[in-house]
Amino acid sequence: MPKTDDDALGPALERRLRRELNRVQPRFSSPRYASAAHPRVRTWRLAPVALGVSLVSILALSGFVATGSANPVVWTERVVTVIESNPPPTSEPSPAQPKAAPREGSETPEPGRTPEPTESPEPSDSHSGSDGAGDSSHGSPAPIDH
Amino acid sequence: MPALADLDSEAYEPGSSEDFDRLYRTAYPRVYRTLAAILGDREAAEDCVQDAFVQAFQAWKRWRPDAPAEAWVHRIAVNRAISYRRSAKLRQIGEVVRRLGRPVHPADPADIAAQGDLLTALRSLPPKLAAAIVLRHYHGYNNREIAAALGVSERTVGTRLRQAGERLRAVLQPSFSLDAAGAFPSDQRELYAED
Repeated sequence: MPKTDDDALGPALERRLRRELNRVQPRFSSPRYASAAHPRVRTWRLAPVALGVSLVSILALSGFVATGSANPVVWTERVVTVIESNPPPTSEPSPAQPKAAPREGSETPEPGRTPEPTESPEPSDSHSGSDGAGDSSHGSPAPIDH
Repeated sequence: MPALADLDSEAYEPGSSEDFDRLYRTAYPRVYRTLAAILGDREAAEDCVQDAFVQAFQAWKRWRPDAPAEAWVHRIAVNRAISYRRSAKLRQIGEVVRRLGRPVHPADPADIAAQGDLLTALRSLPPKLAAAIVLRHYHGYNNREIAAALGVSERTVGTRLRQAGERLRAVLQPSFSLDAAGAFPSDQRELYAED
């Protein structure tokens, strides 16, 4: 390698350089690399928050798309309406479930048996006559003479 | 001042955070002074050195001990300083354009006097030349270590040192007129033997 005498500054200049640079006192601040050492940990610490925000955003977006309203109250009402209009399918009643005591007037008709027709006022002209029993108390029209 | 070889006598283990802490404690003041000489701004020097150590820490597992660790950090830091000076120059141009037509306030002579002449002169050099001067004449690096620190060949190191010396002579000649014989000996040849 060639001699590098061209780069000689001389002892005086070298002393001066040392003197001036020794006067420069570095400030020992806390090393920045130490705080940047665990970026992944910090990221994972924020993960639950990010997940929560994402879920709320998805819910809000779905609600807005379904109802066309940005009001969360409307979304709630819509949910209630949908649930009420589509009741869950009722399964067979469990045998353990006690049967409700039959109540008069509220008896449900058995399947295959038609309920008795309720009495309706009949037109007087077309009345074909009957045994007439039990109707007198109701003030039926006057009997027809034979 | 301890030589680089002495500082690196204790081997560093790549990836060991304890060793990196040790490297930080040892190398931080030295790298800081190099950048202070290159940039002439202590806050910028501190900022760049901290950035360099962050970068070095991220690459610490991949560091190979075939070059001294401090020279490796120096390389990162000098590159960071070069980027900083480049962006500072762009900011200066923007400032000049913004102030076009307005009176220019001359620099305060007290501020100029507070800065050492030599550091001011170093700052006027290109950062790569200034870094070579500081690494050689302040830290005592040999050509091989400077080459490792600057990422260039040893031949380039010799060229840069020669150019830097010439430029510094040109800048400092007036202030060194009284001491010129000692500062730039014409008859006295300092030979930097190959290490």
